[in-house]
Parts: sequence; C-alpha cells; structure tokens
Amino acid sequence: MGRRLYIFKSGRLSRKNNTLFIENKNDNTKRYIPVENVSEIHIFGEVDFNKDALEFLSQNEILLHLYNKYEYYTGSFYPREHLRNGEILLKQAEHYQQPMKRLEIARKFVEGSIKNMITVIKYYNNRGKELSSTLKRLSDFLEEIKSVKNVDSLMGVEGNSRDAYYGAFDTIINDENFPFNVRSRRPPSNELNAMISFGNSIMYSTILSEIYKTHLDPSIGYLHTSNFRRFSLNLDVSEIFKPILVDRTIFSMLNKKTIKKSDFSSHLNGIYMNENGKMRFIEALEKQLSTTVQHPKLKRKVSYKYMIRLELYKLEKHFLGDEEYEPYVSRW
Amino acid sequence: MIMVYDIEEKRVSKILKIGREYLNWIQNSVFEGEITASKFNKMKAKIKDKIIEEKDSVLFFKFKNNKVFKKEVMGKDKNPISDDQSYMV
Repeated sequence: MGRRLYIFKSGRLSRKNNTLFIENKNDNTKRYIPVENVSEIHIFGEVDFNKDALEFLSQNEILLHLYNKYEYYTGSFYPREHLRNGEILLKQAEHYQQPMKRLEIARKFVEGSIKNMITVIKYYNNRGKELSSTLKRLSDFLEEIKSVKNVDSLMGVEGNSRDAYYGAFDTIINDENFPFNVRSRRPPSNELNAMISFGNSIMYSTILSEIYKTHLDPSIGYLHTSNFRRFSLNLDVSEIFKPILVDRTIFSMLNKKTIKKSDFSSHLNGIYMNENGKMRFIEALEKQLSTTVQHPKLKRKVSYKYMIRLELYKLEKHFLGDEEYEPYVSRW
Repeated sequence: MIMVYDIEEKRVSKILKIGREYLNWIQNSVFEGEITASKFNKMKAKIKDKIIEEKDSVLFFKFKNNKVFKKEVMGKDKNPISDDQSYMV
C-alpha cells in the first residue's frame, strides 16, 4: 500500500502534528496528508520545505522526487537506506565488475525491453494497423542481441530498436493533431515527445522508489554504466516497463481524447505539458500502474506497480545465485 | 475504512491528530481511508491512550474492499479524496 503524493501547486510542505501538512500559497488552502499512507512524494510546483520536514520523511521512509518546471527530473531525497544488505551489495558489485556477468544482465534488460515493444506493436498490428515491417525489424534486433559482445554495442542495438519502435507511433496514433515524426528531447519538439519525456521521468523515479523497498543499491546499473551518475539501476529496469506503462498510457489518452492541445504550452523552442496536462497524465499513468494482470508464476493477479517490485526481487535472486533472471514480458 | 468519533471537547483535538496520521479527514469527526491491519492496530493503541473509555466513543466501519460501498455527497464536499492510488494537490 502507500499512495503517491503529487504536488503541483506552489506552497509549503511541512511536518505538523506528526503528519504531513501542505499549505497552498495561491488559494490559502491547508491540507493534512496521512503520513502513514504515503510512500513517495513527487514535487512539480514551487514548494518550500525545511530540514525538519526532510527528517520526518526520512523517519517514515518516504522518498521525495523533484522535477523542474520543464518537467525534467532534477533529483531525489533518498532517505538513509533502511534495508541495506552487505551481501547483496557485494554480489551486485561483483556482477558489475565481471564483464561477462554484466553483459548477461544488461542483455536481459534489452531483451525484456524489445519483447515488450513487440507486445505493444503486435496489439496494434492485430487491430488492423499495418506494422508488420516494424515487427520484423524488432525481431531481428532481438536476434542480434544474442551475439553482441559488449555493453556498448548492446546499447547501440537498444537505441536502434527503439528508433524502429518509435517509427511505428505515427501509424498507431494516426492523429494529425499529434504527429510524432521523430524522437526529440531537451527540448521535446512536439506534444507526443513531451508526453514521452514526462512519462519516462516519472517512470525512473517510480522505479527508484521501488528499489528503495528492496535490498538493491540503485547506483549500480548494468546496461547504463555506473559512473558518476547517482542512480542507474532504475534506468535499466525502466527499459522493460516503459513500453507497457508509459507508451500504453499515451496511446490510451490519445484514443480516448483525454488529452488536448490546450494541455501543452511552449517554452524555449520546446513543447511541454502544462499543469493540467501533467495532472491528466499522472491520473492515467496511476490507473495503468494499478491495473492488475495475471502473474505467470504466482498464479494470481498483481498490479503493474507490484510487478516492478517483483522484478527487483528476481534481480536479487539472480545476484545471490538462486535463480537466473528473466525479464518480465507482458502477454498482451 | 470509516472512522467516526464522539469525544469530549477537551480531548477531541488529540483524536483528530491521530486520525490525520493514518486516514483522510473528510469532515468533522469523520475520517476515511485504506489502512493495513498493523497500522490499524497502532492507531487503535494510540487512541486508546488518549480516550476515557467511560465517556468517549470511537467507531470503525470496516469493508472487505473499496468496491462494496459507495460514497454519495450532498452539499459541499469538504475534502474530496480521489479513489485511485495517489494524492494530487
């Protein structure tokens, strides 16, 4: 359990009466949020908070993620790690330092990523969109990763497969108001790119929050090199879930027309979602995260959010040598 | 879960504060929200410390899941709570 708290308005977040208290600067509303019911906080607005508030979050093991006004993820407050485990940390480092072991894990992430892209594309192909050439290219890339010799070339294949996948977006969406053309970042050139950038940002921090609940160290990544970046394991795991969570949310919002041109605005030559757009998007993404699907091994339904946690447990098992890691692949 | 209470005035704010830590305040003396069994026990222990059992009463309505009841509001919704897994402010 534990809900996510998203703050869009400007104001102050503080500790009051042993729980969370939010004052909105513009309309002077005050609201208490039950601290026992919050697992992470995402801040988009201009929010003030002090050391006392951060200490309180740390005490309650709540992560705080910050985004700038152009919707980029800017950082997290990652409280003192409560589940740190020396054994897993050593194994995690060992799997990074031995090139073959690292490549093996990195390959699984790319494999999961491509397979999930295929699942998404197949769904639309079966619904009358002509996407067989994309499917063909994606399965070729899936073959190609088997013979890749190092992580750099694996990254290359990952990039190429993503390009092929994005190439199908215009066919899937088929809405002249929302052309995709080509993937562009910093700044996103159009509405669709803005949605992808925003969705991916949320995905990275959501997965980071789940990593916090496991014994894993988020700074050791396998596909994304662990260099001076603070967190990279969350980027790795995101690759698997981006197609089924972020991209599907985008398609369903456009199909149901729950997002409009007016939910975006332009700054500095780029197109970004405005406050209303972000709220709509989060609502839809939250709905997708809480959707339950049959788990292949557990023989019961679990939410996608929990599926992310299970994915991390599988990694723990892999590091400990209990069971080889196989990435989650969505069935539909 | 729905929590309602009838507490003597001088102790009412103490119960209000405990309620706010665990549940969503929806109107005077009423809270709603999902809670795990262990957190529910912790909350009850805190409440027990504060009330005088001969005078005060706190009621809890528990539901198997959030599909078996439906909330209907007349007049002003003092603190609208979305039923998905997030808070947006």
